[in-house]
Amino acid sequence: MLEIIEPSVEEVLAVEARGLTKKFGRFVAVDHLNLNIRKGENFGLLGPNGAGKTTTIRMITGVIKPTEGYVKVFGIDVAKERKKVLRLIGYMPQKFSLYEDLTVEENLKLYGRLQGLIGSALKERVRYLLEKFYLWEFRRRLAGKLSGGMKQRLALATALVHNPELLILDEPTAGVDPPLRRKFWEYFRELNSEGKTILVTTHYMDEAENCDRLALMNRGRIIAEGTPQEIKRKALGGDLVEIKFEGNLDPLKLPGVKLVVEGTADRYLLVVEDAGSYLPQVVRRAEELGAKVLVASPVYVSLEEAFIRFMGEEE
Amino acid sequence: MIEEGLRKGLRIIPIVDKEIRQLIRDPKTILMVLLMPIAVTILFGYGYGGKGAGKYPITVVDLDGREGAFKFIQELKNSKMFEIKAVYKSKGQGFSSVYSGTVYASLIIPETFTEDLMRGRPTRVELYYDASNPSVAQMIMQAVGVVTQQYQEWAASKFGTFTIKPMFYTIYGPKIEKIESFIPILMAMILQMVPTSLISVSICREREKGTFEQFIMTPVRVSDIIFGKLAAYFLATISDAILSLLTAILLFDVKLRGSFFDMAMVSTVFLLNSLSLGLLISVFSKNQLQAYQASIFSFIIFILFSGVFVPVDVLSPEAKLIASLVPMYYFVTAFRSVSLKGWGLLMVSEQLLTINIFTLVFLLLSLRFLRMEVI
Repeated sequence: MLEIIEPSVEEVLAVEARGLTKKFGRFVAVDHLNLNIRKGENFGLLGPNGAGKTTTIRMITGVIKPTEGYVKVFGIDVAKERKKVLRLIGYMPQKFSLYEDLTVEENLKLYGRLQGLIGSALKERVRYLLEKFYLWEFRRRLAGKLSGGMKQRLALATALVHNPELLILDEPTAGVDPPLRRKFWEYFRELNSEGKTILVTTHYMDEAENCDRLALMNRGRIIAEGTPQEIKRKALGGDLVEIKFEGNLDPLKLPGVKLVVEGTADRYLLVVEDAGSYLPQVVRRAEELGAKVLVASPVYVSLEEAFIRFMGEEE
Repeated sequence: MIEEGLRKGLRIIPIVDKEIRQLIRDPKTILMVLLMPIAVTILFGYGYGGKGAGKYPITVVDLDGREGAFKFIQELKNSKMFEIKAVYKSKGQGFSSVYSGTVYASLIIPETFTEDLMRGRPTRVELYYDASNPSVAQMIMQAVGVVTQQYQEWAASKFGTFTIKPMFYTIYGPKIEKIESFIPILMAMILQMVPTSLISVSICREREKGTFEQFIMTPVRVSDIIFGKLAAYFLATISDAILSLLTAILLFDVKLRGSFFDMAMVSTVFLLNSLSLGLLISVFSKNQLQAYQASIFSFIIFILFSGVFVPVDVLSPEAKLIASLVPMYYFVTAFRSVSLKGWGLLMVSEQLLTINIFTLVFLLLSLRFLRMEVI
């Protein structure tokens, strides 16, 4: 089921995990996980609560130590040279983790200084981030007095204070209203276009569609990995297409058909290997068989559906 | 870009800055740091009465040297309240045994004691006691009174009616007021309780609230965290020491013999010790509740074995061993000597060194066991 993408000789992966395992007593939170995240991509980690997403992320950031296996970030072993790795990672934990008794600006300045920024470089970076995330007018407000959305904006700004190469975000849009969610994702795209790598976990399947590649986790293991398109294909065994027609038509005689999902006298819902290449052939063959094809189109499958299928297979 | 070394060195400054801002904004801190010392000082000033138990080491100066005196010394021994360290022949030896701190008091039996007794004349015994330890002094005076009373009854039945009057004299200044002699105890309590419990929650609160997870994503080192917090809490709690001293001086008109600088130095050494202990508690506590419980527990142990309530000299060997492991014991001894006897820092250097060794051990353990991990 899993395909391991072997990196080419020159390519250094942004994140490379091998056999990554975390046990809490007898409970195995993460079970021999392999992960390849390429430079510059937006990689989504999905899965139900308790799947091991946060534990995986915490091992990548080094705030917990793996029981077995290793993680490398840009080729640097996190367990051995964490100090070096820290300069490359910006991290936004799932729970709001900034100081509620410090103001917005004090939090940003503190983290800027801890990351080694001083003087005008610090001042400019803080101002840039405050403006970028619409926090300038709230800069003197205590972080504890911010709304949920503002807290998330501050947390993201803080994660970016040292302009990291890899941004790791654990549920960044939880409790954030839809317009701001969209803004976040626009900003992630912007960072990707600057060559930054993003690792994000989310509950929202519609958001996950924006990722370049995804991994679905369940019970500490990755059960599916690939682009959103690939994942849907894997879940169904192909692409879903709809055909509406007049006359008689035996769907099993059509080329590339793997499964008939639904069938009525004038409509079929079919799974074909690849909608792009098979759909014209399907139409041609149907006409040859004497039916008149009215509509032939690929059907949009949501990631949610695909994931529910995968989860079902797991059971 | 600035040099790597400079950046490492500067990392502690933002931490100190952050901690102080947080401390100032926490009303609980303000209450503890500012009000606690004043409240405790006032309570002590108005309401404290000391108690003691066990055998008190004293010396006897026998100027009489005859049967009457021997019988009195025997009576002192029989009372089981005194441990007679030595019997001298001159007043000077007796005084110096109290001045040097070897014993709490010296009892002087005058030359004419036996003669007065046999002739049925009123006579006296003189007790020179160390007033810098008022609870003990009080116990010794009572005990001497009881022994004298018993002795007098026996003597009266044998030689006829007369009186033996115990006379009491203080050493270390005739005007030591009660509150003054409580200042070392007061300082010990305030310099232990407030700083230890305040700092003991500092690291585990970060763990509990989740801020630790973000904090350790920066290149801070274990030593930055430990020394950053130590410095910030030191600056915040040094006012404790000053406030309690000032309250005592202003409210109760306390006159201390030691120089203010020496008292401040001894207090500083002990304050750093209390903070280091608190840090160690914080490193090992899972949450704030646990940390508070641990600091209260350590406070109780410290108070019990610091010689505040019961002088360490009269404790059992096992209890003495525990006391020797309690930094507060050394502080009380040192601060008492400096504030009440007017000793210099050099004269209490042994105690100060011992406290510093404890501090060093607490800090090294904290550095060793602080995990830069969540969970």
